[in-house]
Amino acid sequence: MAIRRLWGWLWLAFALALGTVPAQAHPHVWITASSELIYAPDGSVTAVRHAWTFDDMYSTYALQGLDSKTKGVFSREELAPLAQTNVESLKEFRFFTFAKADGKKLKFQEPVDYYLEYKDSLLTLYFTLPLQTPVQSKALAVEVFDPEFFIDFTFAEKDPVKLVGAPTGCQFKFQRPSDGSASAQKLGEQNFLDDGNSTFGAMFANKITVDCP
Amino acid sequence: MRPGPKRARGFAIVFTVAMAAVLLDGAVHAVLAQAGFGGPRASGADSQLGGVVGWLLTKQSEFYREISATIRAAKSDGSAVWTLLLISFAYGIFHAAGPGHGKAVISSYLVANQETARRGIVLSFASALMQSLVAVVIVGVCAWLLNATAKTMCGAEKAIEIASYALIAAFGARLVWTKGGGFMRALQARPPALAAVGPVHDHSHDHDHDHDRHHPHKHHHDGDHVHDEHCGHSHGPLPSELAGRGGWQRGFSAILAVGIRPCSGAILVLVFALAQGLFWAGIAATFVMGLGTAITVAAIAVLAVSAKGLAQRLSAGREGGGALVMRGLEFGAAGLVLLFGVGLLFGYIAAERATCL
Repeated sequence: MAIRRLWGWLWLAFALALGTVPAQAHPHVWITASSELIYAPDGSVTAVRHAWTFDDMYSTYALQGLDSKTKGVFSREELAPLAQTNVESLKEFRFFTFAKADGKKLKFQEPVDYYLEYKDSLLTLYFTLPLQTPVQSKALAVEVFDPEFFIDFTFAEKDPVKLVGAPTGCQFKFQRPSDGSASAQKLGEQNFLDDGNSTFGAMFANKITVDCP
Repeated sequence: MRPGPKRARGFAIVFTVAMAAVLLDGAVHAVLAQAGFGGPRASGADSQLGGVVGWLLTKQSEFYREISATIRAAKSDGSAVWTLLLISFAYGIFHAAGPGHGKAVISSYLVANQETARRGIVLSFASALMQSLVAVVIVGVCAWLLNATAKTMCGAEKAIEIASYALIAAFGARLVWTKGGGFMRALQARPPALAAVGPVHDHSHDHDHDHDRHHPHKHHHDGDHVHDEHCGHSHGPLPSELAGRGGWQRGFSAILAVGIRPCSGAILVLVFALAQGLFWAGIAATFVMGLGTAITVAAIAVLAVSAKGLAQRLSAGREGGGALVMRGLEFGAAGLVLLFGVGLLFGYIAAERATCL
């Protein structure tokens, strides 16, 4: 009996230790993002196009060791290898982009049209994530966030989200993380009880929802 | 052995203490997570902590962002370096309460061994100093000497990170191994026996049980005490023994396991300072940050040691069971170090791992 209780306590302590840990991190990298949802003429969503501007410190860090013809000026070509590294590394994190159509998870292909720009000592990464299969959806949701919260995603003040070529009548809503009325506590419990579909970091998510008639 | 109600109560005490520690840890983290959350887009709703403390905590994230602005400012205005040091220090203090600075490992280690608070303070400062040194060496060698790219540097950081987690796991395994013996002996001995000493050598278990069965109430005479004297190290060293060489050696492995992993924040700051031609200011900021970190970790370590002292006093009144409670607590703490190491190694615990983009 005592042994069973011992395991009970141990399990609880372990679960608590693990459950609380993901919330500890604070961001080291800040990204100012804006995203576009690309639609095909037939009204299906085909891709998500991101523009992510890294913060001052991370931009400098990322440029460490890179050569340029003119000091402090980097052309798109000079930055091409870094852009390549970026999109390759982002794969591990599923591009911090999580999409669902009518409740079903969507998969992305390898990114295309990626490049970096260096302006005002800030790096901006542009890339397009094509969907594995274009989808016609009445309720589309795209979330952008880092579950480990190493990176803070803040969408731009001006035009954070755009629909490109969407059928008339489609409307999007954009929700910033701090708009959420749900407290961190509630979300934590929800996620704990969830079937593992969502991650703890979802509370930092920027959520784009598109409703089409 | 039949688990009596007393033993059940013993377990309850052990794990209440352990749970309290875990919960406290979790609470601190939850609070700090909110601080990070509120950072650049702070809103009233995010900060549920009012007053000065809440304000200071929400500042953590901002401190970090201000570091880069201050380094830029220091390029033209030398006095900004003082501001930089001040911000770095404050950042270090708050940041250490987050993951990856060895609070959990050092505190658990201190509880697992009968360590003093003073030892805890020394360990905290030494590991924080080592973390700072490693960060400076990585950036100094990779970026300054070799002009390596961020990709290379981040790769090195990742490799060191994994090594650090493996070291923590190995360190925990060793603690579990040594502490497990003491705990098992405490479990197997009957309460009255525990008040005196546990059996010392493994082969003596059976003897002990035999004694138990034959004369349940009068044994463990002086003979056992003498026995205890030469083999004392095998079940929880006395505080005085820790001052010896072996104690410091173990302490050093704790420093190594924790301190080898640099803080990714410090590396970013160092590279940024280097790019601005102010590498020395970055180095100074890193060490000051480490000092702040050390203060927080030391405070938590002292707290852990005092909590154990309290548990010891509370359980001392209990006949015999006290030793069981204490051995159990030590074993639990050792297990926690192992769990942390394994959890970090296999990614069950997200600990601000280096995210290489």
